[in-house]
This record gives sequence, structure tokens and C-alpha cells, in this order.
Amino acid sequence: MEKEILEHGFNFNRRRFLSRLSLGLGSAALGSLLIPDLFRGNGADEEGFTPGMPHFAPKAKRVIYLFQNGAPSQQELFDYKPKLREMWGQEIPPSVRGTQRLTGMTANQKEFPLVGSFVDFKQYGQSRAWVSDLFPYTAKIVDDLCIVKSMYTEAINHDPALTFLQTGSQQGNRPSMGSWLSYGLGNENKNLPNFTVLLSRGIGNGQGVYSKLWSNGFLDSIHQGVQFSKGEDPVLYLRDPEGMNRQDRRDMLDNLAQLNEMGYQEFGDPEIMAKVKQYEMAYRMQTAVPDVMDLSKEPDDIIKLYGPDCLVPGTFAANCLLARKLSENGVRFVQLYHQGWDQHGNLPFEIAKQAKDVDQASAALVTDLKQRGLLDETLVIWGGEFGRTSYTQGKLTKENYGRDHHPRCFTIWMAGGGIKPGIVYGETDEMGYNIASNPVHVHDFQATVLHQLGLNHEKLIFKHLGRRYRLTDVSGKVVHDIIA
Amino acid sequence: MQKKLAGLAEQALFASAVFILVLLLFESKIVIPVWLQPIGRLHPLILHFPIVILLLAVVMEVFRFNKANTINRSESRIPDISEFYRTFSTNLLLVGALLAAVTVIMGLFLSREDGYTGAVVQWHKWTGVLTFYLAALIYWSRRKTWYSPAIAQTGAVLMGIVLIGAGHYGSVITHGEDFILAPVTHQLKSAPVDLQQALVFNDVIKPIFEQKCTSCHNPEKLKGELALTDAEAIRKGGKSGKLYVAGDPDVSLLLKRIHLPVDEKKHMPPSGKAQLTEAEIRLLALWVKGRAEFTKKVVDLPATDSLRIMAVALFKPTKQAEPGFAFDAADEETVKKLNTDYRTIAPLAKESPALAVNLYNKATYSPEKLQELSPIKSQVVYLNLNKMPVKDADLKYIGQFENLEKLDVNFTDITGKELNQLASLNHLKSLALSGTAVKYADLRNQIGTFKKLKTVALWETRLTDEEIHQLQKANPRIQFIAGFDGEKSEPIRLNPPQLKNTAIFAQSTPIQLRHPIKGVEIRYTTDGTDPDSIHSPINNDKTIITGSTIIKAKAYKSGWFSSPVVTFNYYKSGYKPDSANLLMPLNPVHQAEGANTFFDHKLGTFNANSPAWANNWAGVRKNDLVLVSEFKKPVNVTSVDLRTMIEPETGIFPPAEIEIWGGDKRDNLKLIATAHPEMPIKKSDPVLKAIGCTFKPHTVSYLKIVAKPVPKLPEWHGNKGKQALLLVDEVFIN
Repeated sequence: MEKEILEHGFNFNRRRFLSRLSLGLGSAALGSLLIPDLFRGNGADEEGFTPGMPHFAPKAKRVIYLFQNGAPSQQELFDYKPKLREMWGQEIPPSVRGTQRLTGMTANQKEFPLVGSFVDFKQYGQSRAWVSDLFPYTAKIVDDLCIVKSMYTEAINHDPALTFLQTGSQQGNRPSMGSWLSYGLGNENKNLPNFTVLLSRGIGNGQGVYSKLWSNGFLDSIHQGVQFSKGEDPVLYLRDPEGMNRQDRRDMLDNLAQLNEMGYQEFGDPEIMAKVKQYEMAYRMQTAVPDVMDLSKEPDDIIKLYGPDCLVPGTFAANCLLARKLSENGVRFVQLYHQGWDQHGNLPFEIAKQAKDVDQASAALVTDLKQRGLLDETLVIWGGEFGRTSYTQGKLTKENYGRDHHPRCFTIWMAGGGIKPGIVYGETDEMGYNIASNPVHVHDFQATVLHQLGLNHEKLIFKHLGRRYRLTDVSGKVVHDIIA
Repeated sequence: MQKKLAGLAEQALFASAVFILVLLLFESKIVIPVWLQPIGRLHPLILHFPIVILLLAVVMEVFRFNKANTINRSESRIPDISEFYRTFSTNLLLVGALLAAVTVIMGLFLSREDGYTGAVVQWHKWTGVLTFYLAALIYWSRRKTWYSPAIAQTGAVLMGIVLIGAGHYGSVITHGEDFILAPVTHQLKSAPVDLQQALVFNDVIKPIFEQKCTSCHNPEKLKGELALTDAEAIRKGGKSGKLYVAGDPDVSLLLKRIHLPVDEKKHMPPSGKAQLTEAEIRLLALWVKGRAEFTKKVVDLPATDSLRIMAVALFKPTKQAEPGFAFDAADEETVKKLNTDYRTIAPLAKESPALAVNLYNKATYSPEKLQELSPIKSQVVYLNLNKMPVKDADLKYIGQFENLEKLDVNFTDITGKELNQLASLNHLKSLALSGTAVKYADLRNQIGTFKKLKTVALWETRLTDEEIHQLQKANPRIQFIAGFDGEKSEPIRLNPPQLKNTAIFAQSTPIQLRHPIKGVEIRYTTDGTDPDSIHSPINNDKTIITGSTIIKAKAYKSGWFSSPVVTFNYYKSGYKPDSANLLMPLNPVHQAEGANTFFDHKLGTFNANSPAWANNWAGVRKNDLVLVSEFKKPVNVTSVDLRTMIEPETGIFPPAEIEIWGGDKRDNLKLIATAHPEMPIKKSDPVLKAIGCTFKPHTVSYLKIVAKPVPKLPEWHGNKGKQALLLVDEVFIN
């Protein structure tokens, strides 16, 4: 044995060792050529994903999300439940309520009497979809809508639910849906931000909307949502100071770019070049933004279509019109928030006003996109963060009642962007409390939206702090039944 | 020479073993560069060599220890053969192992391309890798002393099995699971049914029975005297009675049996047999609910019917064919060069040869922007020229994009005269002409030549409804979108006018009203009556007022209903104190700007109960609001007004009492006036108004205002007996 070892040692001389070693090292080196990230910590190039490029041919190119913040009551708008009227004032059966977690607002309530809608419903269009009398304009376009009655979420309070719907996590600090799309799809128009946000508020009980909802999270800050405000400066700090003309600005930017170029030569920091690009984009935005925000050239037809409020800055109608203009100009994701849908009490009074605020303009947006031949490439989404209970919150009287938060089912609609038009998807039970068929989880919804934009939600990944993140976290499946 | 070659090959084998290990360890991170992908794709070609060579080597290895092959040279009568057998089998195994290595590496490359997922691929991968390592292991250990015939034979057989397994899984990937038996099994399957023809019973319900029930419930076996093979037998039912009650699945025997717990004896299908899926159970329930029709077609059910939706899903092909493009991708460099800030060019998707082109910014547009795209003319499938000043003459450049599918020339300068320039676009599906000057005659003559056209947007063009109708009639396969016409729609109500200037003024102000819509006439009154369209003055922004005034205004425009009446308040705020202090604390939610709130000219709005929107309101509930104002120069005061919110529903009430104190020293103030504002009654509307008192002129340096919240809400209120909230956003001293 010893002899063999010795022999082996003799055989395995330096030359042989080195030649073998070089082969081994060589193959490892070849491996590192094929694996760009092998010796690097981080990389966006996960799983062969190229940022700014869809995975497969998309149906939709852009999204307009009409977020109804505060959670509109489905029982008064889309989810027609005659049984609730029949059972008015009766206690909700425990078998229906189950072990559902309640909010702090009704957890101590002694009774949970059912309450039906104060407003009537009718069937419309070829799809014979039920729509409440509060939505006369929406009722006219049901054949363009896919109404999903079986959405459900995990959170029971506004902020976590809103954050969950927008970022895929209740905790926050993750990129918003718009940021993910900006990251995944890239710019269409290089003169406008990829992701813009418009806010409005109705008369009803409101809930806060915070800028964390349009945060880029751990993605590059160019994917952050840009809020367009209603004042004279829709985008803050974009305007040149008084006395500076366009040529001065150009010269200043050119000189600054030269200085930055020198800085880049010296330090090689790519952030320097990113900064130069952002200055240039801001320069182009200086002409593009006023052009988009100018509503004075809109024809009368448009004003009648959206309703006269569309010329009053800061209203939902004005934001819908702006959303169309931004989207038409290649903005990938336009996020609207309309506050005031949180009807814990005084529901009949408040929801009627809320509905009036949004009905005409929401329907108008769909019609307007359609008449421009843009509806097939633009996905419009309308809905809140959760639903409302079938039982009343607070005191039930003949005229007045309220509804508490209800994550187990809620209704949204989608239009365009390759979603099947004129269908109603999913059902709730006859008391409108639980989902009876085809449940759609928030992550399923998000996966479907990404799918329509040509992105595989399981491949739209960003690695951060050693973990790969997705908008749909670790679940979600595309709802193929609602795809045209 | 030969030895050297063998040595090199051995080294290569060792290196491949290391390399494959690296590939496997870091597989998830591998990105195969484009130039290497062809190597991967050679995998299906090369793989046949190692299969054949290794199989041969395996066979030779099994017989290696046979007497004839092991005989010593000196003893052998046929020395050449045994010598040859040994070297040949050794080299054969070496070559086979090396080729296996090459095949494995190629296979690993190939597997990184899209579409290689699933269990079969995994099986193929690991059996393939195992084949290689087994071959290498045998090669290295076959000269060891412990390498006995038994080990050799076991090893060889094992490798043979793994090798065949790897080959089999590979063939499943390329040819499909049932490739070999397909000609036999396909005969048994019935031809797929077209959805339009499909019957609810025959094509949706019956197949469920056939898969899960009829093995027992058929005319031959007839378990429980029930057959589920045809409509007649199903209607009849079995030993336990009728199978279903049409329209009521809850009491139907069929579903009862299905829903029984699995361990129950009467549960169907019996435990151990294939169970029904959720979807199948639901289909059966819906079928019974729909009165168990035997002859209805799926497409005859209403579009929203659950049974129809579920059934349609069954008929949908599992994978829809992606529209493939028949052209090659454009040169990447060219695309990059043509891409500018105002002309973006991007592939439709990763690895798609098709390009989408968008043009932005009117000012930078010129026909050359289109002309320059000729190097990529075959690849452009989407072109967006929305609002660009495109002229008729420019259409000829668009005509070159032979594969164009969607063209957006909304709000361009084209007139439609040159639409024939686009006639060569055989793939055009969608044409958006909204807001252009296209004419009926041009469309009528030319639109028919577009063979694939599906939609044409014609909103805001000069075409009349009748003309669009004619086009639609002549071209039924195209959808013409007329869009919304405000002229023909029902009149809608104008929104109310707005106040143009600030509502709070010191001495005098003009009445200035505005309306967002052009051409609107605004009429108003100052006497509290509702304005009308005949007598009330028209706003001209010039009428001057000198005191607090209530304006009621209304907007008019022909073609619209007049707006609702809107009320504005102009508030005169003659004296602003040099300093102001609060002597009692404010409600924590309604702190606003403290004492400054009352003179900052910022008015609050409704919804002050929501903390986020409570901004401009100073509020008290538990104590009085006591505000002391100081004027360095004495002022002659005749009135004090508090702007308050009154919202009885939420318990926001006016003050129960207001006291005005004045004097020339802070600690020597006299009561000047008191007021008891009118209290709201049950169900009165919420309102924002200034309330206070007017009194004889007093010259004061100090003014103390005491406003007392209502201590007990009235009997009719939901929170009767509790303290009311008092909210004030501004104080006017005149």
C-alpha cells in the first residue's frame, strides 16, 4: 500500500499537477464566463430576465388604475343580493359569518343585522349584468367590462389592504405595481415619467393615501411614481426660474453634462451618467408636460362625455381625462386614487354622492379609449381595496345604515387590454358574504394584470438583500378565464 | 503517440467532470450567451453517439472477464484478440464517456432556453448526468484490484439501464408521452367537438360519467340497477330511485351520493376508485340545477351562466398558438441607431422580431422620421403617429411597412385621399383615423382593399352616422367605431360657477366669478334670491362690493341644462390684530394653527372629523374658545363674526353663546355684546357660515371673544346629552 502511495506521488509530478490544475481552473473559468453573476453579489439579470422588455407578446401596453380608495360597497353597486332585502334586520347566520375576523369597529357590536341595498338594480347590455341605479353611465358600457365579483384579500384595514393590492405585501417598502411595470416594460415615451399618480377626493368618509403607495421600493428610483398635482405646477420644480429661457437651460445642461462627463471619466460611477439622463428627461418634460396637462383644446364632445367637472382641476373627472391623455402619450401606468368610499355609517347619503363623482368619468374613459382605437391596448381597472359587510355597522334604521370592512369578497371591473369584455366572473353566496365560485385572490389579480402586459409574474423578479422578490410574492395564478 | 492521446483524453474527462459539476451547482444562475446557444441545440444530434458507443462498451464490459478475453498472453493461442479486446473496450468506454460529457454539457445549455421545464426534463437531466458519471467512474475504477467480475457486471448493467432511461426521457421531451402508442390510442379517442356544436349533456356531462362511473354503471354490470350510459337510463334512475330532481341539485340523489363522506359505504364513486374533481361535481350540480337538459347546446345557455363558462373552458384549446412572425429580426445596431428621444422603437417582446414604433413631440416631426425607418420596414408591426402633423404625402412611407398590424394616425393632418398608399399593408388589423379630415368617399372606395382589417376608429371625423352605417354594411367584417357625439347626446347639467378671487377682503372687492367651460354665461344675485336667466345680472368681474356679501350664482349655456345654484360668501375682514392669544386649549384633533388660524384667510371645508382633512379648523368641545386680540393702534369696532361649521349629524354645532369684550387695557375689559346663535333643528343640512354680532361702535385696543360650545346635545340627537363640537376657521372684525 505504502509503495502504491509513493508511486502515485512520483507519478503525480509537478508538471502533471499543474496541467491538471489548469484544466480544473480552466473549466471553472469557463463556467464563470457562462455565469455572469457567479462572482458578483447582485444582479437584475435574474433568470434571463431583461428589464424593460416583456417576456412574451403583450395584449396591453398600458394600464390606467382607477383606485376607489376606502372600499366601495359592492352591495350597493354591482353585487345584486335581493335576499339581503328579504332578510332585512335579521341576524346574519353564524354558518355564513364563520370565524371571520372583525375590525375593532364592529368586534364589540352585539348584533349583526343584515341589510339590503337601499338602491335598486337592473340588468344591462348583452351580458345582462346587474348594475345599481347609482351607476347609470357605467350601466351603459357593461358590454365593455369584465366585472369580477369574487375578489378577496387578506387584510382587513385600509392601509394594509391598499398596500397589499398595490405592492403585493401588507407591510410596505416594496415596489408598487406601477414601478414593477416600469421596471419590466421600460419607457414608451422618453419625455414623460413611466408611472404617474393623480389624486382626488369625494365627499364621503376618507382614508389617507400616502406616497409610499407609489414608491419604487428597492427598484431603481427612476421607477418611482410621479405625482401630478392640480395646481399651476403639475410636476414640482419642473418649471424654469423666471428670467431663464430655454436656450440658457440648454447651455447650462450641456456644460453640466461636460463636467459630469469629466467626473465620470475620473470615478467611473454609473450613477453620474444616470443623473445626466434624468436632467435630460426633465428638460424634455418641460415641453411635454404642459402639452399633456393642457385641457383647453379638448373638444366639447369630450367635456360632455366626461362631464363638466373634467375641467375642474383635482376632480376625479379631470383626473380621468388627464389619465387618458397621459396614457395616450405612452405613460405605462397611470394610477388614480379617489378617496371617500369608507361608508361605516350614513352609507346611503355618502355613497350616492361618491358614485355620482366617479360614474360618468369612469365610463367616459372606457368610451374615449375605445373611440380612439386604444382600448385594446390599454387596461382599465376600477375597484377598491376590499369589500363591505352584508350586515350593518352601528344602528340600523329604515333610511340609514353603515357597512364595515369585508375582505372576503369584493367587486372590481376591468376593461380593454385583452380582458374578455361583457362578462361577469365569479359569484358570491346569496347573502353576499362569502365567495361561491371562482375566487380571485389579490395575487391572482396582479398575476393577471402582469400577464396582460406580457410579463410572467414568476419571472418578473428583483433580487434584494439576498432574496428574490416578486409583485405576487410567492403565489398567484393567472385567471385565464377572463382573458380574451 | 497513442498513449499521449489517451492521456489527453483522460485529462479532458476529468475536466468535464469538474465542469459539469460547476454547471450543475450554479445552474440557476447560468445565462447562455446567444453565440453559445447553437452548441446547446446540437444536443439532439450528438446524443446518439454516446448512446450507441456506451451501450457497446457496456456489453463488452459485461463479457470482459470471460475466459477467452482474460487469458494471459503467454498462455493464449490467440494473443492478439485478448489484447485487442482490452484496449478496445477501454478506449470505447473512454470515448463514450467523453461524448456523454459533451452531450450532457450541451443538454445543460439547451435546458436553459425557454420551454424546458417539468418533471420529464428533470428526469432526463439527472439520468443523463448519472450516465456520464457512471461511465467515468467505471472507467477510472476498472483497473483497480477490487474491480471484480461481479462489480463490473452490476456496474455495466446499471449504467445500461440508466442510459436507456435517459434516452427514453429525452424522447418523451421531443416526441411526447404517447408517441409510440399514439397511432393505437388515438383511434380510440373520439374526434374533438366544436364548441358551436357541443351539447351540454353529450359533450360535457356524459364524458364525466364515462370516466368515473360507467365502469360499474353500464348495461352489462348494472350496479345498483343503474346505468349511466345513455339519456334514457339516466332518466330512469336505479334501485334507490330517481337520480335527480330537475332544477334542485340539493335534494338530488346523484349529488347526495357524491357528497357523502368518502368512507361511507354509499359514497360514489366508491373509495379506492378515481374520485370526482371539484369542477366535475360543480358541473354535475349546475347541470341538474339547469333542469338536467339532454339536448341543449352549450352556446344556447346565457353568456353569464356558470355552466356555460365552465363548459366553454373545457373546449378551449389548452394552449393558444402564438402569432408567429414570418420575418427575421432587424439588426440590433440599426434599431439602436434609429431609436431617439422622440422616436422609440422596441421589440414587442423578448426575442420577438416585431417592432413597435412610437413618435412623440409635434415640433420634432418630419416625414424623414418615417423615411429613415426603411431599414426596419419589414419589422414594424405597430406604428403610433397620434397627433403628429402627418400629411397625406407621408403615407407612402407608411406603405413600406409591409407587416404593419396597427396604425394610429388619430388627429393627424391626413385627409384620406392617399389611403391607397396603404393598400399594400396586407396584415393591417387596426386603423385609427379619429380626429382626422378623412372623407366618406375615400374610405368607401379604399377600405375594402384591406383584407385583414378588423377595426377602424372614426370618431370626431366628418363622417355622418349614415355614412358610417353604409361603410359598416358594405364591410361587415370590419368594426367601425363612431364614438361619442356630444351633439346627439342628452343634455347634461353644467357644473356651478366658481369664485375667481379670494373670498376675504379688507375694504372692497370686485365680484369675480368664472366657469371652466368656455362660452358659459354666469348670472348672480346679492340679495339672497335665486338667480334667473332673465333678470339677474351677468357676471362681468367689475361690480364692486364693500361689505360681507352672499352671492348666489348659476351658469347657463345652450345645449346644456343650467347649473345648480351655488352660494359664495365674500367676507369683509377690516381689522387684523397685531397679535392674538388663546386663553383656553383647543381640541387635540383641531389644533390648526392655534390663534393664528383665525386670521390666516384660509377657509376650511366639510369633513373636518377626519383628522387628515381637519386642517383649517380650530375646535373646542370641553371648554370655551377664548381669543384675545391686541391692536397696537386702537380700532373702532362695530361687528365680530366667527365662521363656523354646522353639521348636526356629526355633533358639530354653532356656539351656544358668544360674548365680545373690549377695552384699552388687557386686564380691564368690558362686555360689549352677547349673542345667542340660532340652533340647528333635526335633519337640517350641514352648512358653513359666519355668525356673530353687530353692536354700537367701540374703540378698543384689546378685544376678547368668548364662544361657548353647546354643553348638551338636544333630545333629538343620536348622542343626546353629550357635548357638542365647536369649529371656527376664521374671525372677521369690522
